[in-house]
Amino acid sequence: MRVRRRRTFLIAAAIAIAAVAAAAFAMRNLLSGRTGGPMQVVSAPPDVVARGKYLAEAADCAACHTAPGGTPLAGGLPMPSGYGTIYATNITPDPDNGIGRWSADDFWRALHDGVRRDGQQLYPAMPYTSYRGMTRADADAIYAYLMQMRPMKVANRRTELNFPFNIRLGMAGWNLLFLHDSLPAVSVGSSPAWQRGRYLVNVLGHCGECHTPRGIVGEMELSRSFTGFALGRVAAPDITPAGLAARGWTAAALVAFLGRGLARQGSAFGDMHPVIMLSTRNLTPADLDAVATYLLGDSPPAPTSLAAPDPAEVAADANGAGRISYVALCAGCHGLEGNGMPNTVVAMRNNSTLRLADPRNLIVAMLDGIGAENFPHRQHASDAWLRRQAKRRRGGRARELSARHLGRGEGRRDSGCRASLALRPCGLTDALEGTTALGY
Amino acid sequence: MTIPIRPLTVTINGRQHGPMDVPEGLMMIDVLHEMLGLTGSRLGCGIGICHACVVIWDRDDQTSEEVRTCITGAGFFDGKRIRTIEGTAQTDERGEIVALSPVQQAFLDQFSFQCGYCTPGFVNAATVLVERLKRAPVPRGEVQATVAAALETHICRCTGYVRYYQAVRDVILTTPGLTRDGT
Repeated sequence: MRVRRRRTFLIAAAIAIAAVAAAAFAMRNLLSGRTGGPMQVVSAPPDVVARGKYLAEAADCAACHTAPGGTPLAGGLPMPSGYGTIYATNITPDPDNGIGRWSADDFWRALHDGVRRDGQQLYPAMPYTSYRGMTRADADAIYAYLMQMRPMKVANRRTELNFPFNIRLGMAGWNLLFLHDSLPAVSVGSSPAWQRGRYLVNVLGHCGECHTPRGIVGEMELSRSFTGFALGRVAAPDITPAGLAARGWTAAALVAFLGRGLARQGSAFGDMHPVIMLSTRNLTPADLDAVATYLLGDSPPAPTSLAAPDPAEVAADANGAGRISYVALCAGCHGLEGNGMPNTVVAMRNNSTLRLADPRNLIVAMLDGIGAENFPHRQHASDAWLRRQAKRRRGGRARELSARHLGRGEGRRDSGCRASLALRPCGLTDALEGTTALGY
Repeated sequence: MTIPIRPLTVTINGRQHGPMDVPEGLMMIDVLHEMLGLTGSRLGCGIGICHACVVIWDRDDQTSEEVRTCITGAGFFDGKRIRTIEGTAQTDERGEIVALSPVQQAFLDQFSFQCGYCTPGFVNAATVLVERLKRAPVPRGEVQATVAAALETHICRCTGYVRYYQAVRDVILTTPGLTRDGT
């Protein structure tokens, strides 16, 4: 009896050991398992680092890899989804928390294949689905730029996904189905500017990750590229050439919007504001033109001007609840005629958000407010210009100042007001009716 | 071009005004200043940022909130009850002030303001807060944060806010029933 029990125990132990060994063997083969390794020392020429910085801004790494109020590129931004919450990671060269031990090949694999250095699959919250089209030279330049940053000891937060999405290996199958070498063109063109724009928009800017509808397992529905999708509370609107033209957008207006955050058609709010602050406003004029050229195509469709409202309809609604609510709650800033105030309050007339067929963003703007946001007054400010400004402000003690001290690229130069212009939800439906009645 | 005229009836500091004819699109602060002679509410920025122009809107459910009169059309107030800075202190039958409100007195005692332009707005914000705490007291440990949250949108260019916030905190901590134990 006793011998038998011991034998049972031995068999159980043997099975357990075999299982552990098999698991280890599988792990070793499936995953590279590399978590240690030497700290990488990267020496790249300054022009490569500078190009890497420009490309990292064009690829808008900071929008996700920086937590609100957190250290730049040290990760931490929570990205909630229907599957759970994913936290952006630390991509400073810290050896234990960041990418300090990553080689250029490791970095390339993450951008191109969606695979981490330890062999685990990334989730497509990291837009490798778009970055896959990046050239190796550009990826290496971004790598060179990141590796010369100051390493930040900021621990990553664990991904909180529900079963079965917490099994990273499942993403390998997802990638087989949905990871494509290039994303379809959203407009017709062939000019050099269009080609460059396609790369900036489809690959670096990864615009489609928000503006393309997503399917049932979170994949981009490429047949409906750029037709708009509500990933968050504010929906990313249709930015196909037809969609843009239908709301009055021209190439010049897109350049103004992406360069400054402000155009006659409206201001950037919601998730688009950080895109402009961190990314598109840093693009060169030539690249901004290329983006606009690609978005609208080599032969841009004519912008649709707003049809004049039917006077009979307006007259009939002269005493309607909608008009009365608009006059009481909105007109104080946006104006009785909906013209807004230059550089302060956007116009409602011809406003791109109001011209969307789906009133979602308008309703969200009224319920939540859009907050007080700063817009860059001057793009492409040279370091020399910034130093002159600093000198003027600091009485000549400017020699040690660089653009970084002035917070260039972080929007700190414009410390605007802090008050929110949020409206209260009272009279919301009426106000909505009002905007229609006034023909905006 | 003719400007449409709309009737306005509004109860201000307990007294009904109107019905009177008001041009559509006129902001409430203009009605207070130009038509009713109530000049205590201040027009500061005119775009809803500084909050010097706020009045207290008393809802029927006994709650109150601040409304910026520089960006809110007069039509919004039709049929509503509001209080302006002129109605804050106690007055006798001849309209003479006999006692300041605790908030007003505290602002004076603590030298909260210098030029005073923002003061009507601060008085109204603090009054709304004190009344809210009477209905729903906060733990003593949260008073500082509560005051900061309630006054945050009000802008003052003279004093740096410290004495305003200090005065409101003192009113809350020394008035029975506005706080409860705890942090």
